Amino acid sequence: MKPAPFDLTTARDAAEAAALTGDGSPEARIVAGGQSLGPMLNLRLARPAHLVDISRAADLRAVTDEGDRLLYGAAVTHAEIEDGAVPDATGGWLREIAGRIAYRAVRNRGTLGGSLVHADPAADWVVTLTALGAEAVVADPAGAVRVEPLATFIAGPFATTLRRGEILTGVRIAKRGPQARWGYWKFTRKVGEFAKASAAVLIDDRTGEVRLVAGAIERPPILLPDAGAVLSGTLSAEEALRRALPDRPARTLALHAVALREAIDIAAGRPHRGAA
Amino acid sequence: MNAVTLRVNDRTVSAEVEPRTHLADFLREDQLLTGTHVGCEHGVCGACTLMVDGRPVRSCLTFAASCADAEVRTIESFDEDPLMGRLRAAFSRRHALQCGFCTPGMLVTAYDIVRRLPDADEVRIREELAGNLCRCTGYAGIVEAIRDVLADPVPAAVQPIPRTGPEPRTVASGRTRADPPVAPDPASRFPDPFGAIEDGVTLGRSIPFDLPPDRLWELVKRIDAVVACLPGAKLAGPPEGDVLDGTFMVAIGPIRATFAGKAAVGFDEAARSGTVRGRGGDTRSRSSADGAMDFRVVPDGSGGSRVEVELTYRLKGPLAQFGRPAIVSGVIDRLLSDFAANFSALARGEPAAAAAPAGGIGLVLGALLARLRKTIGW
Repeated sequence: MKPAPFDLTTARDAAEAAALTGDGSPEARIVAGGQSLGPMLNLRLARPAHLVDISRAADLRAVTDEGDRLLYGAAVTHAEIEDGAVPDATGGWLREIAGRIAYRAVRNRGTLGGSLVHADPAADWVVTLTALGAEAVVADPAGAVRVEPLATFIAGPFATTLRRGEILTGVRIAKRGPQARWGYWKFTRKVGEFAKASAAVLIDDRTGEVRLVAGAIERPPILLPDAGAVLSGTLSAEEALRRALPDRPARTLALHAVALREAIDIAAGRPHRGAA
Repeated sequence: MNAVTLRVNDRTVSAEVEPRTHLADFLREDQLLTGTHVGCEHGVCGACTLMVDGRPVRSCLTFAASCADAEVRTIESFDEDPLMGRLRAAFSRRHALQCGFCTPGMLVTAYDIVRRLPDADEVRIREELAGNLCRCTGYAGIVEAIRDVLADPVPAAVQPIPRTGPEPRTVASGRTRADPPVAPDPASRFPDPFGAIEDGVTLGRSIPFDLPPDRLWELVKRIDAVVACLPGAKLAGPPEGDVLDGTFMVAIGPIRATFAGKAAVGFDEAARSGTVRGRGGDTRSRSSADGAMDFRVVPDGSGGSRVEVELTYRLKGPLAQFGRPAIVSGVIDRLLSDFAANFSALARGEPAAAAAPAGGIGLVLGALLARLRKTIGW
């Protein structure tokens, strides 16, 4: 199908994009790669009056080294991360995650920020960047910047805390040292489709962070509260998930438990290869 | 219309395009380059895959107006390309095509595999091909053909072009025509009786209220009050007996849908329980929803009460693929939470806070809620 008519404006930078989607244009939406919004437009499920294309906004395509952290511009593509065209704060995890998102043709246009703003609960970045403790960097049309942990930025299925006129300009990810270990596992019936269950694990012996995240649930990814007990084997993955998601059917929890165990196994066998 | 200048198969092309025109349609219909095929048109089948700036992309998910100064290569431009010639020969030799519909996209993806993954084994080849669907060959011949070329490759003449590129330009355009107004769905399109919901998804919820059970039950029976507390819900008119007629607007991310439909409501005074059954449709997305809701007011043991709700729904049509149970469930939780807050405020004699459409009440719930409105209190 073809989309309903809309206007399309290319924004040169984040400020212009925020201004174009601000008060004057209630039906405006930002589009970067368009790999999530595009299908909804083609199916006419979404009918914005105005699209603002940020895919070539230079300031949104930069990666800035902030010392102990990297700030990834929102319009960096999955393929650029996959190919190592931009530095990897985790020494390999981001590349590996990026390389398994959808298909190469989608990764060539789809962006990091677009995936987070779309906030599909099953999306790979939504889950893994929550495990990494990443932060969303948001700007409003006046240029004011706020920073919010991804764990709260993702407010629900397809929902974020972005307000009108605000745009996600980037994602801040802490650099990980060689002690960091990680694992991500997702269940899909076909390569490239959205996960039915997923889990991400981060164990950083240097910072003491231990995060177990269950993804592809009906809400934002959840951080399991009893991570240490699950890792030490005193609490089963099934029980930890059942406590965290008491309303989910047993068969669903079983699949998520598989994802969690697989991700833990991967993390156990995979020391970090050193900071980029 | 937007003015755009781009390179197509080594030719500079300047054109006026509607902003909504996909690159695939621009190439096929304006440039008469019909080698690019259009299949699913939502990024799943891969038939429209071609090269933009030397990288494979979905041309059904790429707007022509966004391709200013881009270098576009369709299958037609690979006639003299040595690597593509090698792939074409291997596809022929290995019977890697039958009807040929997927072949242009397959060849572009194959080119990318050979160029980018010289060490790909069969498993990797199959993974890389997952985004290109073929309904004839079973892929065996395609995989063999790519393996042949990987075993004896020639250098790829087409390589990715760095993305930095020229300064992007603003290509503001006038809207070419207004969307026609959407006529409200005649309720008669979704008539009673509501059939059984087969293959539905069931969700259970318990909503606490700081109200004594008697008071809550009296409020619940006021359908108008209940509907007023449901973000996005609107009755078409006063309830006729136990039948409600109304609309329910839902918003999930960029999706907006307005379900119009009917619902029947029943109450059981003795059990302080009720049931709502309904059906609705959204004309814009050509999607429909069936739903049933059973609810019961129970004391919570400490002076308050709660409503226990069980919802069953089924979505049909294009919205169904975005209304997977996990997402609908989350959306419903937010809806119920807003509803409970509004309803509690109402009970205290305060105005409801949320008049805005639900930021995500279930797609499916639309129908249920429409019924509910009718049922509960209006």
